[in-house]
Amino acid sequence: MTLAIDARGVGKVFGAGALAFRALDAVDFQVSPGELVMLVGPSGSGKTTLLSIIGCVLTATDGELRLFDERVSGRPERELPLLRRALIGFVFQGHNLIGALSARDNVRLVLESRGTTAHAARAEADALLAAVGLADKRDRLPAELSGGQRQRVAIARALAGAPPLVLADEPTAALDAHAGLEVTELLTRMCRERGTTVVVVTHDNRIFHLADRIVHIEDGRIVDGRLSGAAA
Amino acid sequence: MTVDVAARLRAARGGRLRRAQATIVVALRMMLHDKAKLIGTTLGVVFAVVLAAQQLGVLFGLLQKNTMFVDNAGADLWIVPPGTTQTAPGQRMSTALLDQARATPGVAVAAPLIMIGTSVTKPGGGSEATTLVGFDLAAGLGGPWNIVAGDVAALRAPDALFFEDAQREKFGGLNLGSVREVGGHKVRVVGFTWGLQPFGPPFSFADIDTVRDLGAVPADQLSFVLIKLAPGADRAAVAADLAARCPTAKVIATPAFHATIVSTLLRQQLGITFGTSTAFGLIIGFIIVALSMFSAVLDNLREYGTLKAIGLTSWDLTRMLIVQSIVYALLGSLIGLGLVALMSAGIRGPNLIVIVPRALVLATPLIMSALCMLASVLALRRVRRLEPGMVFR
Repeated sequence: MTLAIDARGVGKVFGAGALAFRALDAVDFQVSPGELVMLVGPSGSGKTTLLSIIGCVLTATDGELRLFDERVSGRPERELPLLRRALIGFVFQGHNLIGALSARDNVRLVLESRGTTAHAARAEADALLAAVGLADKRDRLPAELSGGQRQRVAIARALAGAPPLVLADEPTAALDAHAGLEVTELLTRMCRERGTTVVVVTHDNRIFHLADRIVHIEDGRIVDGRLSGAAA
Repeated sequence: MTVDVAARLRAARGGRLRRAQATIVVALRMMLHDKAKLIGTTLGVVFAVVLAAQQLGVLFGLLQKNTMFVDNAGADLWIVPPGTTQTAPGQRMSTALLDQARATPGVAVAAPLIMIGTSVTKPGGGSEATTLVGFDLAAGLGGPWNIVAGDVAALRAPDALFFEDAQREKFGGLNLGSVREVGGHKVRVVGFTWGLQPFGPPFSFADIDTVRDLGAVPADQLSFVLIKLAPGADRAAVAADLAARCPTAKVIATPAFHATIVSTLLRQQLGITFGTSTAFGLIIGFIIVALSMFSAVLDNLREYGTLKAIGLTSWDLTRMLIVQSIVYALLGSLIGLGLVALMSAGIRGPNLIVIVPRALVLATPLIMSALCMLASVLALRRVRRLEPGMVFR
């Protein structure tokens, strides 16, 4: 079966010479299509570095990465934006919405950047915002929304264009416990409905139960990759 | 779920036009969203446009003041003393040149002109300088224009003069019929012109014989010979013929004389003075725009990183900054040129005219667009070097 993510022997070294720092060391990480995996570990363990490499926003120093059997390693950097547009949706820790754009236009931007017509992009953006419970707030600017609402817009943006892979970096970090759980539940529900593969980097053990599998990273190595309650 | 990666890549690779449109909209929205930066950057462009266009307008006005005599004299060709670069009192030539000119085929009219520097004694004492122009009333070449009072025919009367209207007070409250003293002779004011003030003293006009008397100019001397060509005559051929017949003088066509005056003035302090202030305006505008755009990029670094992370390319972000540069330039040019137009109308007078030619109006947005794009290079470099991975930090 084709894996959604197939990382083999992936390593990342930052800096050079005496200042070189190995953030990832020969990591093997595989995720099946439709699986929801949480990457956990202490700060500086390398989980965000691994997420960045999978997200094609950072290139690995060594090893090989394939997404849906498409080879990522060795591709020139100029081709990586294309891979991101085609395959990946992102949810960032701080929502990272464009402050000048309304909720709807933040979602539309992703769609239109992939070539969707304005009319179709508008319709899909409205449908996604309705699905995350923000139909009545689609014309609001991010500054006019609460933290939880912003993260919902970020989820709608991540799912725009139905990417087969969604990567979420600490999606609950900027939210209170209730909102954090609610947002993650929303993300997992919508992704499961769509069969989307999800990798979530988190410290928040209140959401561990939503994962199919929890992978622990320490000092740049995967130390445990057991199934969680949801999939066990 | 089966993922058709090839189809997704194809779809993502296409739609460049839509992506371009989307990024342009985002660029404009980001600009409009940060109103303080929008106002600050636009003011920078406005400042540059006002300073540069106003300085150039004044320069063109001053150049026009020094070329207006040549442009309005009605001559096709001029015979001038060698080395002449201005229409100003100076070296004299022999009236024999006039006869040579009149005998040249293709010449319809050859008229003498005398230009002398003299002074007008005021009733209460003291005097004011004037450039007195003596012209052949019958030929009409080199006579007064922009006449606001009086009739040129009145100059047929002995010792009759036209003065500059803007200098009436300076010459002791001149009116039609006023009597003044020029070169020890009484003269009478019979008309006024408006705005005929070159760099030096204002022009006053009289019949050539009157000027000979007032300036004690010998009957066999003149300052310039003004030529009007016969219909159908070839200007270059007649000029060449005249040059051969008048080897002691210089024969020059009116457009060439105009160009000589302009280039002489520009080579002298005018070009340096106005060039420097214009350049300063552009440099200051450039710095303001560069710093504003760079600071806008720094303020929105995370947003630009996000745009890269979600799949926009460096070229997409470059396009955004170029669009912003052009909008700043167009907006600033529009406001700046509007202000210059208002200022020009406000300060327009016989002493100073600000001329903003259509070419300058058309060139300003283009020059400012280029300047703003150049100014965005710092911001562009920062955006292009931005790693999309920064959004995870």
